[in-house]
Amino acid sequence: MKRLALLFLVASALTGCNAVSKGSRLSNRPMDSGGVYLTTGDAPKRFRTVGFVQVRGYGVEVAGYADVGDAQLDGTIKGAMVREALRLNGHGVIHIEFEDENPSSDVERAQGLANSFSNLSTGKGGVETKDRYVSATGEVIQFLE
Amino acid sequence: MRHLALCLALATASGCTVVNSVTLPSVADGKDVFVTAGDIADPHDVLGLIQVTRSGVLLFGNIDVVGTDLEAGFKDVLLPKVREMGGDGVVRVRFHMTQYTPVARVLGVLFFFVPLPSSVVITGQVVKLRNANPALSPGMVH
Repeated sequence: MKRLALLFLVASALTGCNAVSKGSRLSNRPMDSGGVYLTTGDAPKRFRTVGFVQVRGYGVEVAGYADVGDAQLDGTIKGAMVREALRLNGHGVIHIEFEDENPSSDVERAQGLANSFSNLSTGKGGVETKDRYVSATGEVIQFLE
Repeated sequence: MRHLALCLALATASGCTVVNSVTLPSVADGKDVFVTAGDIADPHDVLGLIQVTRSGVLLFGNIDVVGTDLEAGFKDVLLPKVREMGGDGVVRVRFHMTQYTPVARVLGVLFFFVPLPSSVVITGQVVKLRNANPALSPGMVH
């Protein structure tokens, strides 16, 4: 009974754990010189729309901790999205919307690591992996001045 | 063997970014419909909200029969509908299309008898400019 209560307490404590995905800063306002202007808001000066872009980065979380592939906010927005904007002759991407589709909480990561060790030590199964996806959309623009 | 499988998994996971875009030059010159994800400062009447959805399947993981990408969604579905409504443009556009990773597409080829479902959804607010001015662009910041 005590064990059950303890288990319940632990389960309660673990419920509602946060998963936080971070990306580095986008462009400043007023804008710095050079580079593709990136913002989740509006443009800082007159522009015309060139097109729209959607990017989806795929990666794998290995053993709860190592992230392999392109499922990161920075890689998706500052990498693939910028490359596509440049291909369209854009000067910037505005109104960027992004989502880390399936982030892992600290508990899930620890669980993945523990399961991987357990699997390897017992010889049952291998390293635990989890597919990861990050997607982003934006409006590609050219500045008029 | 497990290490080999892990290596294969890592190899396939590396560099898997899917990018889709549509070129949509937008100038409010009254000749064609403009589209922007933001707002416009020019006086305008709101004609209504719109959501267009086009669904289909990818045969063999790659062949998009009906056109369910951004190009088709914007140019073949959204713009004609906006013209039908008598709108000059669409503001606050939001969009999403199904994007499969290269690995999923390869699986679609292998399991060709199970077509991959695919769709594109675009929402926005249709507007009509009160004073159509060819000199202004929809993205003009006042």
